[in-house]
Amino acid sequence: MNAIRVIAVNTFREIIRDRILYGILVFALLLIGLSLALGQLSFAEQSRISANFGFTGIHLSAAILAIFIGSSLVAREIEKRTIMTLLVRPLTRTQFIVGKFFGLVMVLTSLILGLALVLLAVLSFLELKIELNFLIAVIGIWFEALVLLSLALFFGSFARPTMTVVFTGCFFLIGHWVDSLKFFVEKSESTGFKLLGTTITKVFPNLEVLNWRSAPVYELQVPASTTAPALLYAFAWIVFLLSLTSLIFRRRDFV
Amino acid sequence: MSEIVLKVVNLSKSYKRSALQSRVDALKDVSFEVSAGQITGFLGANGAGKTTSIKCILELARADRGEVFYFGEKGLSSEARAKIGFLPERPYFYEYLTGREFLRFYGQLANMKPNDLKQQSDILLEKVGLSHAADRPLRGYSKGMLQRIGIAQALIHRPQLIILDEPVTGLDPDGRFEIREIILAAAKAGTAVFFSSHLLPDAESLCDRLVILKKGNLIYQGATADLLQKHTSGYEISYQSQAGAKTDRVKDEKELQLFIDQLRVSKNVITEIKPNRSSLEEVFMEIAFDKKKTSEVHP
Repeated sequence: MNAIRVIAVNTFREIIRDRILYGILVFALLLIGLSLALGQLSFAEQSRISANFGFTGIHLSAAILAIFIGSSLVAREIEKRTIMTLLVRPLTRTQFIVGKFFGLVMVLTSLILGLALVLLAVLSFLELKIELNFLIAVIGIWFEALVLLSLALFFGSFARPTMTVVFTGCFFLIGHWVDSLKFFVEKSESTGFKLLGTTITKVFPNLEVLNWRSAPVYELQVPASTTAPALLYAFAWIVFLLSLTSLIFRRRDFV
Repeated sequence: MSEIVLKVVNLSKSYKRSALQSRVDALKDVSFEVSAGQITGFLGANGAGKTTSIKCILELARADRGEVFYFGEKGLSSEARAKIGFLPERPYFYEYLTGREFLRFYGQLANMKPNDLKQQSDILLEKVGLSHAADRPLRGYSKGMLQRIGIAQALIHRPQLIILDEPVTGLDPDGRFEIREIILAAAKAGTAVFFSSHLLPDAESLCDRLVILKKGNLIYQGATADLLQKHTSGYEISYQSQAGAKTDRVKDEKELQLFIDQLRVSKNVITEIKPNRSSLEEVFMEIAFDKKKTSEVHP
């Protein structure tokens, strides 16, 4: 546990000293700020537009952070050969991967929490009724970012950072499209399309199941019967991807 | 006899340069030992297999065959790892960390207690001459400073074996001298030092023992002095002739006597006679590249 903690803390320190994080933070704050400005344009729906924009800002910045920083997290250690001095220490390769994962989880959690508090302040100012569904929407964003991070680590264990960004980005886009694809597969009469569509829906994690961002906007309730299986589904993907990453990483030669 | 801390037995490794090419043998049944308190130099031309050997020893790359024993035990266990320090070739460290944070990070990975870690960091920063830069980020360090903090990283947990891959390459004479002093002090304290180098004069003056590779094969393992002794041949004789000062070489004692008689007859003044000792560089060129020293041998 000590080794994982040490690697995680160092990864956290590495990312918070990286300028890219502040770029993402500024982007998210601008989006939340823009939500206030756009809200002004609509008299009746002001708070809803602001909430919508605000959640989009948090969602996108968390996804960008997970994809871009997650993709270079391990690759940078290999490229700069810092991994050589690490893996010689009493540290297993699995502990290294898990430590890197938790390091970025700490950053993601800080970013999402910080932005959620800013949005909460904005929505309170606009007198939108804040309920438990606000927290549920944030948890959905958080879990989605963790799945994306696991994907980035998985691809990063064998592909170059640029390709890792492309692969993870594809999974992000397709992951939000799985529900629509399922719908088209059901309607389609082509067996080829059915086979391809079914394969895609099985291979790609369905990220839409974690999308509860409209609940606080439209004051909808999200029952535990919806959230619990979705969170379990995301958790299973994270464990599966991290196990696979560790398996690949354990067999890798650093030449 | 000193305790053997590292024993490599029949280590072999081959790899493919590309998918279409056949496998290349990087190491072929390499066996050697490293003992406590001794400095063992690991020599070989570029591509001889030094870095591959080090990576296989440290399980950064998987060997095809062979066994490695660490402190008498087979396999690189967590306990064995805690007793090993390593500095890779051309190291690159976390530039966002300060020197002190950097040492703390590696000390924590070795499960050092906070008080001990702080104390040991201060001692090492002093020893490697970086106390003044301890709180500066590594991105502002010069190459020599990075190499020194790298050595401090390898020593932070008081290892019993340190493996250094080209620790003095690219350093100026001053930096090389400092690294040499650190290596000597570590060996004096009982640590086994195993280091690869291209700088043969440094290896000659530092190493008690040598391990030499040629194209993945072990061609020498033993004491530095023994290797040099084996390659001592003939004598060098300096004298004053009518044409001025001259130095000639003779193959053996018999030729030496004949040459001395000859010089006496011709009334030349002999100024110095010394055994013709080859430097490690000359011996290395001979055994690793099959290049014999070219010298003027009398007659």
